[in-house]
Amino acid sequence: VQAEAPFRRDGERYAVELSVELRRSLRGWAEDLRELVATQDPSSDASLQRLFPPAYPDDVLQNLDYEETTHDELRDARVASAETLIRTADETSISEEELLAWMRTCNDLRLVLGTRLDLTEETTEGDFAGDERASETYRAYVLLSAVVETIVGSLEADE
Amino acid sequence: VSPGVAPAEIREPVDEDVREPDWPWIVIVWNDPINLMSYVTWVFQKLFGYPRPKAEKLMWDVHTKGKAVVANGSQTEAEGYVARLHAYGLWATMQRDR
Repeated sequence: VQAEAPFRRDGERYAVELSVELRRSLRGWAEDLRELVATQDPSSDASLQRLFPPAYPDDVLQNLDYEETTHDELRDARVASAETLIRTADETSISEEELLAWMRTCNDLRLVLGTRLDLTEETTEGDFAGDERASETYRAYVLLSAVVETIVGSLEADE
Repeated sequence: VSPGVAPAEIREPVDEDVREPDWPWIVIVWNDPINLMSYVTWVFQKLFGYPRPKAEKLMWDVHTKGKAVVANGSQTEAEGYVARLHAYGLWATMQRDR
């Protein structure tokens, strides 16, 4: 995230100043996330399970009830947010609702990538030396972290 | 009536084993290595309307103690909170307040 204020409040909307490359990356990652969330069953993928944690970790039956009542809605909201980012990735001005969709999608991606990398609070890029694929995933994770951080900063600036 | 001088609520004595109230459910957010501190603080403010110092304190509790109770209510209310926290990617669970 190179610009000084990549997301900046502009009246009722937010100005977005990001490089073409980063916009392309964000759209591509959001497309991957939409595909994962919309088509895969959480039980088939640990990183997807992270997006749908149990409400009742010690009560299987209660938790089945919870999943039954919430899963589809949570899934559809995630897909809708990803689609908002995909649709508006090239915009230089987005609404607050669209900005929140960007934030949630980038955070969902961090959860998926971070779970795949088995991150801890002490993880650094050096931990993936020699593994080009994992290094690339980690660099994406770091970029997404910067995007989420700057979006939160721009929302806080409104308070 | 100022909240400070309201008389204490008078309750009928009840048998703790028989009473099955619907309200004592607590919502817990657990520490995870991925969600950003700034993001977690923002989510607490947004979802619960907590002022920033309270949201920050809860975030620090999550970060340093491994978890924090962020809300309570009836089972239905607690499930609603948990679902909204899950929508924002936080690791939230609920349990009876015992």
